Amino acid sequence: MSSNKDISAPKIIKERGSIHPINHLKDSIMDLLVSFGFEIIDGPEIETEEFNFDMLNIKKTHPARQMHDTFYVENKSNLLRTHTSPVQIRGMLEKRPPLAFISGGKVFRKDDDATHLPMFHQIEGILIDKNISFAHLKDLIYKIVHSLFGEDIELRFRPSYFPFTEPSAEVDILSSEGKWLEILGCGLVNPIVLENCNIDSNSYSGLAFGLGIERIAMLKHGVKDIRDFYKSNLDFLSQFK
Amino acid sequence: MKIAYKHLVKNIIANPSIDEISDRLFQLGHEHEIENDIFNMEFTPNRGDCLSINGLLRDLSVFYNVNTNQEIYNHKLNKLDIDFENLSQDICPQISFLKIEIESIPNKYKDYLNDYFKDLNLNKNNFFTDISNYVSYENGQPTHCYDADKINGKLVFQELDTEQEFETLLEKKINLIGRNNVFLSNDKVINLAGVVGGKETSCSSDTKTVLVECAFFKPEAIIGKSVKYDIQSEASYKFERFVDPECQEKTIRRFIKIVEEHTNIKDMSLITYNYKKNKVTKIPVKTNVINQIIGTNISQDEYLTYLSKLGFVVNDENIEVPSYRSDIETQNDLAEEIARVIGYDNIARNEITIPKGKISNIYDMENKLRFFLLDHGFYEVINSPFVGINTSNSICVDNPLDSNKKYLRSNLTQSLLENLLFNERRQKDSIKLFEISDIYNIKDNKINVSRKLAVIASGRAGHNYKDFSKKISKKYLDALFKESLPNEDFEFKVLSRESLNTKVKNEIISCEVDIANFSTDVLSYSEISKSPESFIEYSPISDLPYSIRDLSFSIKDFKELDTFIEYILEFKHKLLKEIYIFDYFNNEKNAEIKIGFRFIFQSADSTITEAQVNDIISVIIDHIEEIDGITIPGLT
Repeated sequence: MSSNKDISAPKIIKERGSIHPINHLKDSIMDLLVSFGFEIIDGPEIETEEFNFDMLNIKKTHPARQMHDTFYVENKSNLLRTHTSPVQIRGMLEKRPPLAFISGGKVFRKDDDATHLPMFHQIEGILIDKNISFAHLKDLIYKIVHSLFGEDIELRFRPSYFPFTEPSAEVDILSSEGKWLEILGCGLVNPIVLENCNIDSNSYSGLAFGLGIERIAMLKHGVKDIRDFYKSNLDFLSQFK
Repeated sequence: MKIAYKHLVKNIIANPSIDEISDRLFQLGHEHEIENDIFNMEFTPNRGDCLSINGLLRDLSVFYNVNTNQEIYNHKLNKLDIDFENLSQDICPQISFLKIEIESIPNKYKDYLNDYFKDLNLNKNNFFTDISNYVSYENGQPTHCYDADKINGKLVFQELDTEQEFETLLEKKINLIGRNNVFLSNDKVINLAGVVGGKETSCSSDTKTVLVECAFFKPEAIIGKSVKYDIQSEASYKFERFVDPECQEKTIRRFIKIVEEHTNIKDMSLITYNYKKNKVTKIPVKTNVINQIIGTNISQDEYLTYLSKLGFVVNDENIEVPSYRSDIETQNDLAEEIARVIGYDNIARNEITIPKGKISNIYDMENKLRFFLLDHGFYEVINSPFVGINTSNSICVDNPLDSNKKYLRSNLTQSLLENLLFNERRQKDSIKLFEISDIYNIKDNKINVSRKLAVIASGRAGHNYKDFSKKISKKYLDALFKESLPNEDFEFKVLSRESLNTKVKNEIISCEVDIANFSTDVLSYSEISKSPESFIEYSPISDLPYSIRDLSFSIKDFKELDTFIEYILEFKHKLLKEIYIFDYFNNEKNAEIKIGFRFIFQSADSTITEAQVNDIISVIIDHIEEIDGITIPGLT
């Protein structure tokens, strides 16, 4: 029999915490886009109508501006940004093209159910240069989607409508169950938006894209109810190490 | 919007299958689902022109020969003598009225009208309203039918501030407030324009004389009204998205034709008011610009042919946009038309070169702090900014989703405290959380932003046998954090449990610090934790209570020690959630080692029972009892 003097104690397992799965995915996508050459910029979550809507060619009559879609604060003097696009506007006003920006963060809309929340996260990117075409946009989107979901993933582009891009598209991926799932919106920057930012739309064109982080996180982690991300339940959070 | 395959395909010469049409619709950007041969369409808000059979056929005409020319009444009509005044011509620049009297109400409908109701599973209403609904389905233009005998006096259209009760034709009573576009008769609202008509003047199954109103309303005047009054209205859905400003008389004539096909008309007359001519949009032909935008190389002939098929009038210099396409104004809009026709998926990729931006470090500090906290067992949370508690400088949300949460939080600690109590209620005995977020408040009458890190902790220092009996305290956290980041002041404090509805007595320690207050020393911290390299498949969590069992073993024969520990820690059962060593004591003097294991049980579908736990524990005990030199003190 060996002596207990020679016995080493069981290894002490130090419990590590975890990054929130939404922030983990956001950081992964931002890192990917930075590796492509995009520069990270940041902007406020409380915005003006001018930056959130007007500069993006979202007309006064657009449904998104209604009180039932947008949170307004302090007697309508400001609003909670409904997308991260105003950050791109601020970026374009500060820097001359060629430019390639990304921004990520919280956005707010008046929704609340199993697939929508009043607060969620987006990443948006914009690239302005000479002779940027829809064919370039497709190349970039393929690279992003293949990096996120693997080279074998099947994707399709569908025409869509966003006031700040023209042409506009939504991109779907084919799930393992054979269903098309929408994962991002994109398009060529509407020349009106470029002109709003004092960029000559005859000399420059651009592309833009935006991803909803929660939607992709639900797909990648198999989470069925978006609200699970925000219950702060340690049984949930401890799975994402 | 629901559109039957059968109704579409009967107007397409090539008779394509439903799957083929579905593929074409997706290519054109018309998202939909198919159920029982019905397309449930979801159109983008710029394509109001597609909200009908004819609208979809016009788009599909780029692929097929289609028929959009349904028969209309072509004869001359008498001028209607009507006392009508339009006081808001900017909102309603075109309007037609048709008065029509029939001999008798038909007993049955022609097949095409019957099929419309049957195929789409719609309820019939009355003869004139049924035709109105069918015509709107066929060409996208809503009409409103008044029982002509119920209208007395002058009819007025006006945008006005009004406060009065209005009963819709669906017998819903609403209180009109603020600015509304209405039709008035004797100063009383009889129709909420573009949304829903009133009960008082609506048609019934006895109506034989109808006044049909067919108008163009500016979308901006209609938007928001159906939501404001909580009315589901197909008419407002169409007017909000723009109807063809040049189709009103044609619609009226189609209406007459259908009436005529069902019964004898005794009398009819029409009047059309065109207050403002619709502006024609012309865009110069620039094929090179279109190719540049899309990244293609199509010829001018091909380009103009596509546009002609879509209803554009083209010549070598200009492209004239049809009146129903209000969404087309620029070269980029035309490029999108061509890209849709070619198919986005058929446009070849062109390798992109991205201008290199500067490598940004705006998140370096908070990322270092994140990983520092991970290393010490803290979990990151993200909380909603909406709270019910306000301080003197809180920002108020004008239109909150929940009136009990109408402020933006002015600190992170309160949210973290709620997270901590939530986890305590779920029997968690070691809770360490943090959040990094912007906080907003009013300062000097301006919106002020600061980026904060907040930390909260309570309960056991950890679950390993060294930390199990240590409780988290201010002293413990101060020492732990100073060890790695000696120059940073986290300003930990003890939160009172006095006002909290909890029986747990553990101290709650928290801090909330401006990220800007940390020194650059933080950037030198070498983290141990890493981000997960792959995405973990999540296992659904149970909200049912745990059951905990502790087993202590005395080991006097050490040769089987490692095997014994491995057996227990690797023991698997679907009800066994977690096992860890919470106690370890090596008594060299007595040549004895004591090890305590904690077993945590939880079921996914029902509260776990004593019997279930005992069954699992007895499997473990039976196995251990076979090993020489290992006993469970107290177990006989």
